[in-house]
Amino acid sequence: MTIDLVLRGIFSTFFLASVLRICTPIIFPSMGGLVAAAAGVSNMALEGIMLWGAFTGVFVSANTGNVWLAVLAGCLAGILVAMLLAVAHLRFGSDRFLAGLAVNLFSSGGTVFLMFSLIGEKGNTSTLASLSVPNVVIPFIHDIPILGQILSGHPVFTYIAFFSVWVIYILMYRTRLGVHMRAVGENPAAATTLGINVHRVQYIALAISGLFAAMGGMSLSMAYLQMFQREMAAGRGWIGIAAVNLGALRPIPTLIAAMIFGFADALANQLGSLKIPTQLVQSIPFLTTVIGMAVYSIQQRRVAIERRKKYASEHYDEMPEEATQL
Amino acid sequence: MKKFFDSNNVRSALRIILALTIGLTFGFIITLLVSDDPIKAYTAFLTGPLSQLNRIGDWLEESLTLIFLGLAVTIVFNAKQFYIGLEGQMILSALASGTVALYLPVDPIIRVPAAFLAGMTVSVLWAVVPAVLKAYLGASELVTSLMFNSIALRLFEYILRTYLQLPHVNGIMSERVPEDARLTTFIPNLPFLQETREAWTKATSVSWMVYVALGAVLLAYLLLYKTKFGYEIRAVGANAKFAKYGGINVNRTIVSSILVSGIFAALAGTHLVLAITQRVVQGMAFGFGFEGINIAILTGNNPLGVPIASLFYGYLRAGSDVMERVSDVSRELVFVVQAAVLLLLTAERLLPVVQQVVTTDEEEAAHLKKGSVK
Amino acid sequence: MPLIEMKNISKIYDNGVVANDHVNFSVEKGEIHALVGENGAGKSTLMKILYGIEQPTEGQIIINGKEVSFRSSLDAIDEKIGMVHQNFMLIPSFSVADNIVLGNEPLQNNKLIDKKRSVEITQELSKTYGLNVIPEAIVDSINVGMRQRVEIIKMLYREAEILIMDEPTAVLTPQETQDLFSAIHKLVDQGKTVIFITHKLREVKEISDRVTVMRLGKVIGTVDTKDVTREQIANMMVGREVFLDIKKPDINRGEKRMEIKDLTYVSETGTPVLRGVDFNLYSGEILGIAGVEGNGQTELVEVITGLKRATGGEIKVHEKNILNHTPREIRMMKVAHIPEDRLTNGVAVNASIEENLIVDRYFKKPLNKGLLMDYKEVDKHSNALIKQFSIKTPDGKLPVSSLSGGNMQKVVVARELSSDPYVLIASQPTRGIDVGATEYIREQLVQYRTDGVAVLLVSADLGEVMSLSDRIVTLYEGKITGVFPDASKATEEELGLYMLGLKEQTPEEMEKVL
Repeated sequence: MTIDLVLRGIFSTFFLASVLRICTPIIFPSMGGLVAAAAGVSNMALEGIMLWGAFTGVFVSANTGNVWLAVLAGCLAGILVAMLLAVAHLRFGSDRFLAGLAVNLFSSGGTVFLMFSLIGEKGNTSTLASLSVPNVVIPFIHDIPILGQILSGHPVFTYIAFFSVWVIYILMYRTRLGVHMRAVGENPAAATTLGINVHRVQYIALAISGLFAAMGGMSLSMAYLQMFQREMAAGRGWIGIAAVNLGALRPIPTLIAAMIFGFADALANQLGSLKIPTQLVQSIPFLTTVIGMAVYSIQQRRVAIERRKKYASEHYDEMPEEATQL
Repeated sequence: MKKFFDSNNVRSALRIILALTIGLTFGFIITLLVSDDPIKAYTAFLTGPLSQLNRIGDWLEESLTLIFLGLAVTIVFNAKQFYIGLEGQMILSALASGTVALYLPVDPIIRVPAAFLAGMTVSVLWAVVPAVLKAYLGASELVTSLMFNSIALRLFEYILRTYLQLPHVNGIMSERVPEDARLTTFIPNLPFLQETREAWTKATSVSWMVYVALGAVLLAYLLLYKTKFGYEIRAVGANAKFAKYGGINVNRTIVSSILVSGIFAALAGTHLVLAITQRVVQGMAFGFGFEGINIAILTGNNPLGVPIASLFYGYLRAGSDVMERVSDVSRELVFVVQAAVLLLLTAERLLPVVQQVVTTDEEEAAHLKKGSVK
Repeated sequence: MPLIEMKNISKIYDNGVVANDHVNFSVEKGEIHALVGENGAGKSTLMKILYGIEQPTEGQIIINGKEVSFRSSLDAIDEKIGMVHQNFMLIPSFSVADNIVLGNEPLQNNKLIDKKRSVEITQELSKTYGLNVIPEAIVDSINVGMRQRVEIIKMLYREAEILIMDEPTAVLTPQETQDLFSAIHKLVDQGKTVIFITHKLREVKEISDRVTVMRLGKVIGTVDTKDVTREQIANMMVGREVFLDIKKPDINRGEKRMEIKDLTYVSETGTPVLRGVDFNLYSGEILGIAGVEGNGQTELVEVITGLKRATGGEIKVHEKNILNHTPREIRMMKVAHIPEDRLTNGVAVNASIEENLIVDRYFKKPLNKGLLMDYKEVDKHSNALIKQFSIKTPDGKLPVSSLSGGNMQKVVVARELSSDPYVLIASQPTRGIDVGATEYIREQLVQYRTDGVAVLLVSADLGEVMSLSDRIVTLYEGKITGVFPDASKATEEELGLYMLGLKEQTPEEMEKVL
């Protein structure tokens, strides 16, 4: 009986709509991570930057009453923190991972610290009258029976998230900057001999990744919820990194990976309303990530082995055992 | 030790001191900005742990946990594996040890060691998947261990709430660990120490884990620098291709290094549950994971430096607790300071760049710009 | 007035190595000028200076009568100098056209990249200079010859008038080499100037107008190519007889020590790199493998020593098949390996010299006793080796990075030779190291061979192969194409034909002497 309920739940428009919304804070850090990784400077601090974006957006909106000013502020915060990481790594030679971990530590501690200092709370900002971004109702589409409910009425960040995939695609493949980023990521020596300033390109890549991560954070504190909570990124920054790992540095596969994780997250919420313990269900996205990575690696090995076997079958009369292994 | 005054070591020490000083100064500046009474706050931060015996106890206890974590990270970092699953391992060990201590129906003389063993088993098993995925499939251990951390935290919460939760209390926690399983004080039961013993037992819960910790440090040092296993770990960390070429089984070494470090992470968890919190409680391990990493970095992945670094960070942690209690500054400041220190420490080129800015000699500046300083 | 004049150029590196010693070098417009010299003669350095990658310690560069100073290769490109490197500077996942326009992509309306235009530009340049490339092809999938043409077109796109080519034929097949030469002639017809770094004397004679010979950082002389013979050039390069004068005791060949049969290996990208290799190694003999780099030598060594998995075949030592066994097991069979790339495989640069010396024996007595290792013994062991092999260092506990290239290689050699090998695989043993260390290592190889070790020598230095080996086989496209049982009777020309796949012995001919 429970499976019945689950299935009915999954195929409801409500659920599918929620999938899109839940994917939003995962797509943002994934796209940000993609740009940085493509330029050879994978950003390990996405989780932390998300927190700063979420935090800044809430506090600026509560203090200025202007939600767009808050969004701008959040974006700037994200870029600034990313620049901190960039300077540490590019100028001062910090190891990328360690500097990223340091920034994450700074972010999770710093946001709670500031929250307490500013409003005396350590858990969340529910006492603050912060704003959230408007939902977007798409004129025509909204009236289509099922599709309308799924596609329309989301917070503006959701649309920005999906739109940004296209923007990133154009950036990476059709602009000089993006092409240079990819060149730098693949062969910095070659790029240098052609006059591309490797560091400059990498700084910009990190700034962009900070921008997107911050938007991911704001999509949590100014859309999903209307407040900032300590540790509210809840691992999405790391999931973003995992999505980039699976996405082979290309926008569409990265988007697909992010959506798979988002789907798992949404599923976790759905199953939570049944008698399945929330914690185990919340673990699904993380488990999915690990399984996804394992499957990916195994797949790659399989392809390589197939190639070996093909040649061996042509050369030898009997297939040697060696050819079936890597 | 004999190469202590070698210029390289002096450079490293200088860097560490510089980083710590800047970090602490940075913390003070922030305190100035947010606090109504910054002097009081920062004084509490810097001297708080020494002011009362129970605070000294807190300091030492936290440091012990950090020692185990620092050792765990040091081992994997020596193999250049970015495995950071110690937070998850620690919390699950705490759960396992606590459960055994609470419910295993045997004499404490068996129950306590069993608790330790349970913790270690769980911790090592929890590391198997990320370790194997990295060694044999090349999957990023950074990402998988982080995922496993998240899963561990939720698994911990689930088991705690469902099976161990104390009814009718405000808070997510288990029963208190029975007296006979709590670790007793580290001060030996000798006639002339009775007074000290009583004072310490009343005010603190610093246990004989002190000796275990010291033993662990020695063990880690011997392991890394005096055994063939340690040689393999360091060879793989120095140049995995070289290690393979020389005949070392790199995959096996990667897996073993991660599993062995799990034993140390387990000690941290067992220590937490049997000595510090004395019950299984939600959030008991918050923030410890990354501190282990901080410590390993601070010591340059050398086990011998871990006790000092741990005492230092433990002091900061305890200090931040005192500060929060007596002033209007929240304890998270310590994380901000630690982050700053970590950033400064990992900045390989920090000293040369600073020198470059300061130096007036053009030639030396150009030389510095080109050269790499080890 | 010459187009390019390099006057009194010196380059001294931080570690004291004098790469260029008061060099005077000039190039006339429209000529094809060959720059020759042995490994380490300084020719690459000189060109790196001309291309702005390195800065000279002393001296001037004058182009078209104007003195210039290059802070980076960008400046050199501005002066219309282009360089085609030995290691291609291409982005593997980009297409040919993308690589060619990289850094200066054509824009549509000044905003987005005009991909169509990139392809057009590529086609135009390709046609004008007769350099055949496929604009849309992904660089990862095209062959070496085309990659090189892409590099050349890249420079032409930037309006290079002077093209520096660094060992361009090192990785080409004979047909591709001829194609390259016609392309070079076409370039010159269009008014370009070409500087051609090489150590292949036949090519110097075939294509160049003038040749400059360098040795040990100095210019020995510049002559018109038509006025010199290859032997004369060679003598200028080496300063003595063309082939090194290594005193080798007569060969005393013993039992068969390693038997390799039908060895195949497919790379990760699916290319069959070894297509059925057969040969044997005998005690007391150095077997040299001659071949243009990229024909499978690297993979052959890696497969024999257990670093890569073969697809099939047999490697027998002591009657046991060790194919695809682990490096540890292979070393246990007393097969030692001097690797081609010491920095990647041979040493761990940040580890100490003594720890580098024990990677194959740290677990054996007396270095390891039961639970703990005995570092006093490790100390003794490393000090003994440092002395025996004259490794220049004050302290065995210093990191390997403190050593010069030659001494690093000595560490590798010391370790491998002191393992009492039954078979020794030596891959590019003297690459990139100073003359003193080179001589020493070659002597050691001969010594161990005379003492009975079976030695496999793989080297891109044909002179080295010919003078050190007792027997030579040629490797072409993953197969042994010829066996020369008496190395002293082989000639460079004949070997060259086999190395380039122009001639091939039949399996029956080879079987007798393999």
